[in-house]
Amino acid sequence: MRKKKISLFDIVNNTVLIGLALLCVYPFLYVFFIACSDGAYLARGAVTFLPKGFHLEAFKYVLQRQDLNVFSGLRNSFLYTLAGTAAGVLVTYMTAYALSRPQVKQRYGLMALFTATWIFEAGIIPQYIIYSACGFVNNPLVMVIPSAINTQYLIICKNYLDGIPHELEEAAVVDGANQLQIMGHVYLPVSQAILATIATFYAVSIWNQYMVPQMYLKEQNLQTIQQVLKRVVITTGDQSTAFRNVVQNGVLLNQQNLKNAAIFVAMVPIVCVYPFVQKYFKKGILIGSVKG
Amino acid sequence: MYCGKGGTSVQGQKIKKKPLLERIKRDIRKNYLLYLMLVPGIIILILFKLGPMAGMVIAFEDFSAFKGVFGSKWVGLENFRKIFQDKYMLTLIKNTVTLAFLTIAVTFPFPILFTLFLNEVRISKIRNGVQTLSFLPYFISSAVMVSIIYTLCSPSYGLVNSIIKFFGGDPIYFMTEPGWFRPLYILLQVWQSFGYSSIIYLASILAIDPALYEAAEVDGANRWQKMFQITLPQISGSIIVMLIIKIGGIFSVDLDTILLMYNPSVYEVADVIQSYVYRMAFNSSGFPDYSYGTAVNMVKSIIAFAMVMLTNKIAKKYSETRLF
Repeated sequence: MRKKKISLFDIVNNTVLIGLALLCVYPFLYVFFIACSDGAYLARGAVTFLPKGFHLEAFKYVLQRQDLNVFSGLRNSFLYTLAGTAAGVLVTYMTAYALSRPQVKQRYGLMALFTATWIFEAGIIPQYIIYSACGFVNNPLVMVIPSAINTQYLIICKNYLDGIPHELEEAAVVDGANQLQIMGHVYLPVSQAILATIATFYAVSIWNQYMVPQMYLKEQNLQTIQQVLKRVVITTGDQSTAFRNVVQNGVLLNQQNLKNAAIFVAMVPIVCVYPFVQKYFKKGILIGSVKG
Repeated sequence: MYCGKGGTSVQGQKIKKKPLLERIKRDIRKNYLLYLMLVPGIIILILFKLGPMAGMVIAFEDFSAFKGVFGSKWVGLENFRKIFQDKYMLTLIKNTVTLAFLTIAVTFPFPILFTLFLNEVRISKIRNGVQTLSFLPYFISSAVMVSIIYTLCSPSYGLVNSIIKFFGGDPIYFMTEPGWFRPLYILLQVWQSFGYSSIIYLASILAIDPALYEAAEVDGANRWQKMFQITLPQISGSIIVMLIIKIGGIFSVDLDTILLMYNPSVYEVADVIQSYVYRMAFNSSGFPDYSYGTAVNMVKSIIAFAMVMLTNKIAKKYSETRLF
């Protein structure tokens, strides 16, 4: 291919796109900038696009204040995400594997039921009645068990397993391996990418969930970080009662510092793992949308 | 469910079939491990997916939490009749559909244009970098996104209002003015989703036959012509399918975002069917009306289900891409 010279189009196009990409992530940086700025400058409205002064006291303060539940919210979200992802990957993979076996003659019927219950939403009220009868009100398991099969991820996983040639297992079948051994030794080793993909899907969706915990986890010490954010940042509005100006270790912290510190700690775990998991996510989107 | 009808082949007609029970026993003995693997999945299916479906029966009852699903009074279609008399229902339908259409109108074309221009970036580091950054907001929770909007738009200290004040304007109360709800909601949707859609479009652009571009170059086509006369028509299949699927999902709104964003002062535009149902059950000041809420949601679900099935069928005609 001949070398093309850089045209005006390229310069403008690259600049606009880079600008757009930066605009997408600037608000996340801005949250950090405000959280670490000096409260005195903030009060005067002297902080605009970049931080003024630098300290990490706001983060320490919001994590230490027990009554805000920021720390316990983070801890709960971590635990729910960990347990929910483990349960989700295990149950989804097992179910997808069994449903991809021709020996299971009910597989089409079961898949149809999963799909039908996915497209037709029963709605939150009947769901609440059933879940509360199962004892899920104020029970952290509500974040782990009912969501252990997401139909969309089940379809992605099953499609992937359907695509693996069955010749792969012939040797194992001849050796007299049972289905558990075939799953563990033949299919699992070639499924690592799809497992990573659905693990990412589950983890992100559990971490980010708002409505389910808000409906079921009413006790403050069980709440997730998303619920905490709603309470301390959104509901209170400008006349925040949760945050008043405080001086900690000689640094003045006002409510802007503290609110942004709370927002930042809620998103930092996702931002930190994002570079490592985004490729799995891209893969999952393409499997889920193109092959269906 | 499984009755073995037609399960045996041609010889089955000659050899006498074994009794059903016998065959089921043999099947279970042979494949018990597979069935064991299915147990957790089936429990989840029955309890948490089919269970709520069965629970919809309360739409035909005057449900009381004390009497339970089986003890409550049966009222037949009374709750559905109430829907047609409820004047607020019109506002809800209008809000739901308006919000969905406006969201599609903005969030749909934007990623297509973005991807067309992104595809023209020749330096792969820039291309990948832009894609990675634009995809990040998709991972951030609605609670964080709405919190950021709240702090950015705060009338007393938010950056947006500081800029307005700097240019001599009066601060705008973005979160309590009904006129600003839809623009802010749509802005959030664009911000959160365009990177996601662009991944799908970029994948279909990569599948275009390079010979088409070479032929166009021979004919002296410039960049713009190649973008809009080759790339765009070539991915039109994906575009149409994505649009059809989006229209099929017109009744599904981003409920998390709405619940986080709205407050009584913007109900007139922000309240959609789902948020109304939510509020009726969990936030109402009086007794929660579970039965009416379920009936409202059931009507919505039936229409939404029909829309999704129909659009999915149409999408199948266009290409391999479909929802399920």
